[in-house]
Amino acid sequence: MSTVAKKTKDTVFNSSSMRKRVFNNIWLNRYIYMMVVPVLIYMVLFKYLPMYFLRASLYDFKLLKGFEGSKFVGLKWFERMLSSPELWRYIRNTLTLNSLSLLICFPMPMIFALLLNEVRNKPYKKIVQTVSYMPHFISTVVLVSMINNILSPSLGTLAKIYKLLGKTPINFLSNPDYFYGINIVSGVWQTVGWNAIIYISAISSIDQTLYEAARIDGANRWKQTLYVTIPGVLPTFVLLLIMQIGQMLNCVFDKIYLLQNTLNLQVSEMLPTYIYKVGIESQKYGLATAGGLFNSVLSVILVLIANSISKKVSEISLF
Amino acid sequence: MKDTVQTTTGKRIILRKVKYDQDYIKRSTGEKVFNVCNIILMALLLVFLLYPVLNVLAISMSSETEVMAANVTFYPIGYNPQAYVTIFKDSELWRSILNSAIVAFGGCALSLIALCIAAYPLAYGQFYGKKLYSVIIMFTMWFQGGIVPLFLTIQNLGLYDSLWALILNGLISAYNVVIIRSYFNSIPFSVVESARIDGANDFTILFRLIIPLSKPVIATVALWVIVGHWNDYMNPLILISSTKNHTLQLKLKSLVLAAESSTSNLTTLSQTTAHKGVAALSTQVKNAVLVVSMIPMISIYPFIQRYFISGVMLGAVKG
Repeated sequence: MSTVAKKTKDTVFNSSSMRKRVFNNIWLNRYIYMMVVPVLIYMVLFKYLPMYFLRASLYDFKLLKGFEGSKFVGLKWFERMLSSPELWRYIRNTLTLNSLSLLICFPMPMIFALLLNEVRNKPYKKIVQTVSYMPHFISTVVLVSMINNILSPSLGTLAKIYKLLGKTPINFLSNPDYFYGINIVSGVWQTVGWNAIIYISAISSIDQTLYEAARIDGANRWKQTLYVTIPGVLPTFVLLLIMQIGQMLNCVFDKIYLLQNTLNLQVSEMLPTYIYKVGIESQKYGLATAGGLFNSVLSVILVLIANSISKKVSEISLF
Repeated sequence: MKDTVQTTTGKRIILRKVKYDQDYIKRSTGEKVFNVCNIILMALLLVFLLYPVLNVLAISMSSETEVMAANVTFYPIGYNPQAYVTIFKDSELWRSILNSAIVAFGGCALSLIALCIAAYPLAYGQFYGKKLYSVIIMFTMWFQGGIVPLFLTIQNLGLYDSLWALILNGLISAYNVVIIRSYFNSIPFSVVESARIDGANDFTILFRLIIPLSKPVIATVALWVIVGHWNDYMNPLILISSTKNHTLQLKLKSLVLAAESSTSNLTTLSQTTAHKGVAALSTQVKNAVLVVSMIPMISIYPFIQRYFISGVMLGAVKG
């Protein structure tokens, strides 16, 4: 590619031969262009047109009137967003949930992989592993329905256990104190097996001679885990940790939205769900687009920072 | 244990592998205790992972009185398959399953063709504008318009409330392009070159040569796309409005989580549904619907999990 560019620069005065060369290249690659052009058209229509519609954040946008008919309001929506105390509450909610999940959900897959590695019975190991992948294939709607099943104050299993212990059942779902807890526990349920895959493969790629050497040095199983296995998975852990921190401001729309109810809104409302309600349900497109843009710019910055750190740490990056 | 190894010179060397496993080295008491604890811990994890699913299955097949008394845990009490007979007659549910199947399988087929066509020029093309083409695709991995701009785009393209909106919106994702391109790159370039010398055009090379050689990655991405579409809730929520176009997840939400998510109170649930003139669904029917929605993914995943796992590794190695 670069050599082609250099050559064309050299022969810039010899325009007829250059034109011939360019034409030749295009003609040789005509089938490639037949692939490239439809893909570009698709990208423009479905990925870049939405970016064009970010312009709606500067208008009092009405769907039927378009940009011409809608009133230009400048930065009004951004000002309203940034001056609203609600915005910071939404961001705080997202950060609280993500910090808790980083503390609890995130290390679980590694712990699971390390423990699974110590299971000596092969068929049992295989069964545990296969079952642990299952939640990955269950949709959020079903997950939230299961949560409702188990936590229901009248019909749920947990209420039953409370009754057996002689306590009055708690309505977990309508109590904001439990919102993060429910999220975290179900998050562990969803990710513990699936996210362990990468650790399991990191463990299996550890050089077996290291274990042999450790045994000769008299290391028992615990020492082998401590000095061979854990150092072997640590680079993976650090890399995933940095990436996870880059995702600090993102939240899973489906799960948050479906677990929300009027009683826990104080802690469960986050930017994406708020944007959905304002934008799609109340049709305040301008305000919602401004909020969405604000959110994506913040998260992109965070991802870029995390990515540059991981580049320095491990020379592997997300992009 | 004896193993024979063929060396490069053709001599067979006998290696003596010492088996260090439990059969040969006497285990300490601490190790024995740990093994037992570990097996128990894994069993508890199995219970934690399986209980919600078994609970749903059990409730769907139990009798009304047992469900109302919250006696049903992980096995059905008072076996009663009436709920399945009820949902078998629900044409709206089947319509939504059909819609989801169209989006998942139709979307998958179109997606694969589009992704291969998008990845081929990146892997093998030497054309003017390759750099730009690559940037145009990669940029969408970093930054996207967001919920409301997507909604406005689909409205303006006239695709709102059609299944095409769901299929086309998820057609080409930059991440999948990267995965497929990196697999294409691992195929020796001489394969493409010699086919070109033989006079094959790029479409022939892609469909006759490269795609058959890339079955593992195609299978992986296909499954990602199918599971993604089948379990997707957010995109249908934003892009679909009429009941006849509802996908399974939207239908599930309206059947199972209808009022619970807003108030999580069973009395208001029956009031609101009665108000709308819809007969309130029994708990068994709700759970039967959940079971039906889970069956396709849960019944196939143990057989195809190796493709998923290789996919996770592809994503990690890609760097």
